[in-house]
Amino acid sequence: MRLSLREKGFGVCDHFPMTSKRSAFGRDRGLQGRMLLTMFLLGLLYAILIGALIAAGAGGVTIAVVAVALFGFQLLASDKLALATMGARTVTPQEQPELHAIVERLCVQADLPKPRVAVMDHRMPNAFATGRTQKAATVCATTGLLAMLEPAELEGVIGHELTHVINRDVMVMTIASFFAMVAAVIIRFAFFFGGGFGGGYGGGRGRDDGEEAVLLIILVSVVVYAVSFVLLRTLSRYREYAADRGSAILTGRPSALASALIKISGTIERIPSNDLRSAEGMSAFFIVPARAKQSLMNVFADHPPLEKRLAALARLEAQLQGTGS
Amino acid sequence: MGLFDALVGRHAVKGPAARERLFALSTAYVTLSTEYSIESAGVAGIVFQPLATADFESIVGDMEQVVKATAGDLGATIESKDDGYGCRWLIVRDPASVEDLVVSINGVSSAIEDGGYGERLLCAVFAFRDAKGAAINFIYNYKRGSWYPFVPAAGEQQRSTERELQLKAQIGGELPIEPELERWFPLWGIPF
Repeated sequence: MRLSLREKGFGVCDHFPMTSKRSAFGRDRGLQGRMLLTMFLLGLLYAILIGALIAAGAGGVTIAVVAVALFGFQLLASDKLALATMGARTVTPQEQPELHAIVERLCVQADLPKPRVAVMDHRMPNAFATGRTQKAATVCATTGLLAMLEPAELEGVIGHELTHVINRDVMVMTIASFFAMVAAVIIRFAFFFGGGFGGGYGGGRGRDDGEEAVLLIILVSVVVYAVSFVLLRTLSRYREYAADRGSAILTGRPSALASALIKISGTIERIPSNDLRSAEGMSAFFIVPARAKQSLMNVFADHPPLEKRLAALARLEAQLQGTGS
Repeated sequence: MGLFDALVGRHAVKGPAARERLFALSTAYVTLSTEYSIESAGVAGIVFQPLATADFESIVGDMEQVVKATAGDLGATIESKDDGYGCRWLIVRDPASVEDLVVSINGVSSAIEDGGYGERLLCAVFAFRDAKGAAINFIYNYKRGSWYPFVPAAGEQQRSTERELQLKAQIGGELPIEPELERWFPLWGIPF
């Protein structure tokens, strides 16, 4: 359920330093915080890089070319990169008949073309979907997930991933974060020209103005980046709720997905620390976010808290049974 | 689904397509039988997602009663089975006529649709045999209102794509065949 690609907006590196679950490292808030800080700094670096390019006199054309190239790379390559890095392997119907059958039936129900089906050999129960278009999508499950869940629960999880495909979440998040980046560049650009072509060209008072302008530019880009970071995380959480809901509607079994989420989160908490460490490279795949309830962490989390997801699914089940509003 | 729906993450499950496309099989069968020696195996099934709610179960229960009564008049038998994927099959056996099979299957889907659960219908499967006795299935996708052939081959989860494409060429003029091959979803473990 964690869709690694929803993080891709900040650059492909963001696939990997992701939230961790509560773990044998103790409270996971610290780890989560460090990872978030890493991501934040990566993005900051990215912004400062472009800012520095401008300050160094690179023209608008160069900036535009770099931005478009990054965007193209994100769109075209990052899902393949993610799949390859995670060691996900496309499987045939002969190898995974049950998984294929579940995907096929849900595709009929969702009126979707069949995505590629991949399996990642790992004990950590999880699943994700990638692909910029419905036709180029891949749905991947770990062997841990396949071993742990009943068919109906697996169907709920796959339904969640297929809803990400239906909702074009990869595209939405990539574009959303791209414009955040472009906005940052534009603001910097505006200040740059407004500030009289940066420092270094004028003398005396002009130079001071230039330095102030450069400071201001950096300050503004930090603020813009910080705000868009929170906004994108919020957006990501909404997409998660939407995917849970879509899965429940698709399968007609909201409680099966709830059961899967409970099993998955319970298992993640029980996984020993050495296993977590060995899985560090793929921590982007943890499903249910930690217990950082009531904290600022909720603002930064890309997945909603488990209890809120379960409550939303319980409301859907009540509606289905005709006992809810 | 529109772009806006994708943007806001909103989507509804599609209901069934126009009913008359199901009936296209009745006329197409004449061609299959006379020109290609493909004969009905006398059995068809409809597969849908059962909802675990009182309302849905009562609609399905009533429907089964009605279809059983009608099918009985036609000389057919009805059987209900749940498969390993949480789907329910209603299987109609009627050696006499493909047309009656189509009518019975349509009776099931209409009852579910009229009960307000049309979006739970997945597929209908009609079984045939060719002159050599090999099994051929024609599957009707309710969402898309289109047909496709499904020919299992020897070996686990193997299908004869060649034979399926031949069938498409043979009957495509009379049966609305699904144009996108990636939507020719196989159904393994058809319970008849």
